Amino acid sequence: MSLFDKFSRLAAARAELGAEGTPPVATPIEEIISAAEGVIDGKRVILAGTNNYLGLTLDPDVVNSAKLALDHFGTGTTGSRMANGSYSGHAALERELASAFGWPSAMVFSTGYQANLASIATLAGKDDFLLLDSDSHASIYDGAKLGNAQTVIFRHNDPENLDRRLSRLGSDASRALIVVEGLYSMLGDQPPLAEFIEVKKRHNAWLLLDEAHSFGVFGDRGLGLAEQTGLLDDIDFVVGTFSKSLGGIGGFCTSPHAQLELLRLAARPYIFTASPSPAVIASTRTALAKVVAGTDLRSRLWDNINRLYDALADFGYRLGSDKPGPVAAIILPDRESALAHWKDLLANGIYTNLMVPPATPKGLNLLRISLSAAHTPEQIDRIVQAFGQLRKAA
Amino acid sequence: MTTHNDRVDQAIRNAVETALPQIGGIDFDAALTSDVGLDSVQVMDLVMEIEDELDLSVPVEVLAEVQTLNQLAKRLRTMIKDNPR
Repeated sequence: MSLFDKFSRLAAARAELGAEGTPPVATPIEEIISAAEGVIDGKRVILAGTNNYLGLTLDPDVVNSAKLALDHFGTGTTGSRMANGSYSGHAALERELASAFGWPSAMVFSTGYQANLASIATLAGKDDFLLLDSDSHASIYDGAKLGNAQTVIFRHNDPENLDRRLSRLGSDASRALIVVEGLYSMLGDQPPLAEFIEVKKRHNAWLLLDEAHSFGVFGDRGLGLAEQTGLLDDIDFVVGTFSKSLGGIGGFCTSPHAQLELLRLAARPYIFTASPSPAVIASTRTALAKVVAGTDLRSRLWDNINRLYDALADFGYRLGSDKPGPVAAIILPDRESALAHWKDLLANGIYTNLMVPPATPKGLNLLRISLSAAHTPEQIDRIVQAFGQLRKAA
Repeated sequence: MTTHNDRVDQAIRNAVETALPQIGGIDFDAALTSDVGLDSVQVMDLVMEIEDELDLSVPVEVLAEVQTLNQLAKRLRTMIKDNPR
């Protein structure tokens, strides 16, 4: 018996993906040439499997602000926000995030994962309830595990199923926190937000919307799905990440409820970790300003999204979402064909993501493409051509 | 009690048929993950079916405590007894 015995199934699943060639899991990226190009296995490739939706990781202003902060404040804060790790930049970013939403409070966390962990585990306490969509990200499930609330799962994107579960709680539903995402990263699908809000209001419950993949992408100012659908006033908490459209690392929670500030005194993933480095805070502040003002960036991203979604539909691929978005998830019949697609595309100079069970909902085998404003029309052409060739060969 | 037992067992059988048609018959004493080979997503799908069959919500915390369908059935019977409809 060994401590490692329990990992044998995971190791077997990993081995099934093949030991030879470029690994499809944790693929090493040797160089970054631009926000849309890199080097894998010594070969120049189009990066179509990152979350760099607005291509801001190498934006000169964003990079320069990080360099200045590095020179001025050093490499790290060496401590928690609660102790010595609250610099002027952290507070400024929180003000700017709150101001973007027009809300009184925002909190910054060291990662997006911790933003969900802290918000969910702390907002819903011992006598409260959590209602989670079944396709929720691991950080949402882990937030539920870290906290003490009673957790119930409802069917993915099914307001009627949520309604039934809230009905069973009766008047206790006023102590229930519903968690949904603005864009589900595996299938690229969106929630029926208006219907969820109608159910939430009817039961006097609370709603947390995780806009990790939708922030920067949806809405006139890039604030996410709630802004795009005109429903921001009906949301209680928005969680987001800095590691996708904002091109850094970190996360946030913002709310129209000023009492969000109280989480600073109780949220363990906020208190017991070092605060984000000054350079990442500075780059995120510059990126945030560009996101809010970034209609050109979004317009380029959406041109690319619509072009690829149309082409994939024309080729007859089955996609994870009917509604176009920054994630295009192609559903393939089995693990072997998904792996073969992934390898063929890489051989064609296109890096995508291979997603297989148990990481995927409904046991689906997926090839996931993430689009970026940084992709040129020629790069999108190359991606489309590569899929066309794959379709012909099939 | 017998009525509850029948109702819970039947709900589980129906749920297995709907959520896991590929499994066929299932041993109520088999561990769902290590013996039957279900992953966490499949267990979740199965439980959501059972919830709909019985019109009750099963907290996720309960799932961490049960390994087999018989253990789950026992917890469900307690939940129904504690919260009669």
